Amino acid sequence: MNLYLPIVFLGILAAAFAVFSVVASSMLGPRRYNRAKLDSYECGIQPTPQPVGGGRFPVKYYITAMMFIVFDIEIIFLYPWAVYFDSMKTFGLIEMVLFIATVFVAYAYVWRRGGLEWE
Amino acid sequence: MSPTPFLVLSALLFSIGAIGVLVRRNAIVVFMCIELMLNAGNLAFVSFARQVGNLDGQVAAFFVMVVAAAEVVVGLAIIVTIYRTRRSASVDDASLLKY
Amino acid sequence: MTLLAAPAFQAPNLAYGRLSPLLIIFGVALVGVVVEAFAPRELRYQIQSLLALAGLVVAFISDVLVASSSPFSSSAGTGAFGGIEAQGAIAVDGPAMFVWGILLVMTLVSVLLVAERRLEGGLTAFAGQASALPGTEAEREASARGIEHTEVFPLVMFAVGGMMLFASANDFLTMFVGLEVFSLPLYLLCGLARRRRLISQEAAMKYFLLGAFSSAIFVYGIAMVYGFAGSFTFADVDNAISSRVGADGLLLLGMGLMGVGLLFKVSAAPFHSWTPDVYQGAPTAITAFMSACTKLAAFAALLRVFYVALGGARWDWQPVVWIVAIITMAVGSVIAITQTDIKRLLAYSTIAHTGFLLTAFAGAYQGTIVLTNQVSSLQAVLFYLVAYGFSSIGAFAVVTMVRDSSGEATHLSRWAGLGKESPVVAGAMALFLLSFAGIPLTSGFTSKWAVFTAAWEGGAWPLVIVAVVMSLVAAFFYIRIIVLMFFSDPVGEGPTVVLPSMLTSAVVTVGAAVTILLGVVPQPVLELARHAGEFVR
Repeated sequence: MNLYLPIVFLGILAAAFAVFSVVASSMLGPRRYNRAKLDSYECGIQPTPQPVGGGRFPVKYYITAMMFIVFDIEIIFLYPWAVYFDSMKTFGLIEMVLFIATVFVAYAYVWRRGGLEWE
Repeated sequence: MSPTPFLVLSALLFSIGAIGVLVRRNAIVVFMCIELMLNAGNLAFVSFARQVGNLDGQVAAFFVMVVAAAEVVVGLAIIVTIYRTRRSASVDDASLLKY
Repeated sequence: MTLLAAPAFQAPNLAYGRLSPLLIIFGVALVGVVVEAFAPRELRYQIQSLLALAGLVVAFISDVLVASSSPFSSSAGTGAFGGIEAQGAIAVDGPAMFVWGILLVMTLVSVLLVAERRLEGGLTAFAGQASALPGTEAEREASARGIEHTEVFPLVMFAVGGMMLFASANDFLTMFVGLEVFSLPLYLLCGLARRRRLISQEAAMKYFLLGAFSSAIFVYGIAMVYGFAGSFTFADVDNAISSRVGADGLLLLGMGLMGVGLLFKVSAAPFHSWTPDVYQGAPTAITAFMSACTKLAAFAALLRVFYVALGGARWDWQPVVWIVAIITMAVGSVIAITQTDIKRLLAYSTIAHTGFLLTAFAGAYQGTIVLTNQVSSLQAVLFYLVAYGFSSIGAFAVVTMVRDSSGEATHLSRWAGLGKESPVVAGAMALFLLSFAGIPLTSGFTSKWAVFTAAWEGGAWPLVIVAVVMSLVAAFFYIRIIVLMFFSDPVGEGPTVVLPSMLTSAVVTVGAAVTILLGVVPQPVLELARHAGEFVR
């Protein structure tokens, strides 16, 4: 149980601090609301329950996110490969070229379909 | 250092994710909870790799991350499509298919 | 620290020849993506369909070559042949090669359905432009200009490649990768129907969310088993179980979680709830593909995990499988009675069939395979899946042909009097339904016989009794449809059977031929399944 004592302590501290700051700010802070302040914050996109027929949905945001993920995640395999490259010699090089060529096929598809154009 | 605390944390994350999948209504949030479960799996892999003393678990974490990323792409594509059609990402609104 | 001290590097030894069916399929899928990127729009359909068909044929031939040149493994006496390739990641053994071959043939048949264009008036049954909103000008324009998503062909190829990998994986990590490689394309394919796009998209979302949920559970199960055994390889897990080194709690937890993930994929109750929705909403060609191929791959993987890796813990998992089998049979057979939509009804029927298959799995009968005429559980399950797969593809092919102005007429009331409208089509459907019901002289009877025998020999006789009762319940609703088709008067305008092109006709013909052949002379395929032997360890 000793092992978890610091965690419990940290939890109590965090909870106390959270309660304290909420209570303190509601008692001490000035109240000047505007529209932007009342909106829920979702990383720059429109908050999801939207008025019917109103507001355009920035699909670009998601498309960019998807493409970022595809090319970003490739690094996961490149990193350990780079660390260990010296001892793998030609074999490692060929395998990585094959892997990147495979990813490049997806890239070519996205490029030809206009996925990289921002209009 | 014993991996037990990490395993306890991973079990907690997994449970939070699983409960989230079952109770949340927004498809994107449900999906985020699934990602949480996958990452709980990653934490368990890495902790066990430490305990067992081989690298298999760490490699597994890489693969799970990559698969999770592919899943994000497919999932977002489906959820965005359905959102554009219905203007709603609530899983309760998708109810054309029943008995 | 010893953990990070890497051993000297040795290049892995890959037997490219033995892995060639897998490599060909994935290669063709990649080429398909390149074609999609660079070929002119008018030629894509022709190139893609021919490429997919050619790839499947070549992969099948190479599978046959690999199988005929595989030596019996040194661990003889177990009846296993073939070996473990790719540094222990993939088992190219008898069952794996058998499953590969059948998967390739059934995919070939499904691709014919996917490529069908006459039923929709010159276009495939897939959305012209998935990004165009349903019912908008953009969608109508895409249809008018004849735009098609020929991406479905590479997606199907990726899916079948993933299934092959899934069925032959020899460690848990490869199995997980295979699982996702075939699931992700299927999620997308489900959402691409040309008609009733809202339902199709909804099916895709449900399938995706539940599928991702189940694979997250599967991953956590793998982590637990890894914690127990310290390795992902099936043989190592088996060793760890028999020597009782690890913590039992971890093993039980991991086994349960992995079981959930795998039972979800074979649509066993209580993890079946996605099946009716997805089967109903997905484009019918894809439903056919899923009902035959996903089920085969998932059962092959389920059996491999539980027989090879977790066989030592049989007394722990067997009772649970008994219960799951009973629930699955009951849910599938009883709920199907109340269905009014043909695709949904076939989905519940597929759940019931999963239950029958699980009886053999629970029996886990191995016997002395090579010498006697008995079939082991594994071989019975494989034979059943061949028989069921072809009947199922045939039945869904018939569903694509019965249409009215809004597309496929899937409501059962629209099927009344089909026998008068088109005796041949209704006759083919009746044959498939009789096969599902397990009437003698159809493949359904011989395959049920094989499965129940294996279960009985394995000591699961109470399950067999339940299964026979449930078969009778299930027979009721199959017969009801046949009566509806032949002895009811059509309601209103009645159904119309649209004359399909060669492709769909070929699919129905193949389905009907296999259904009758396996019912009358099952020996060759049964012999082939028996020759495939057991899993290599």
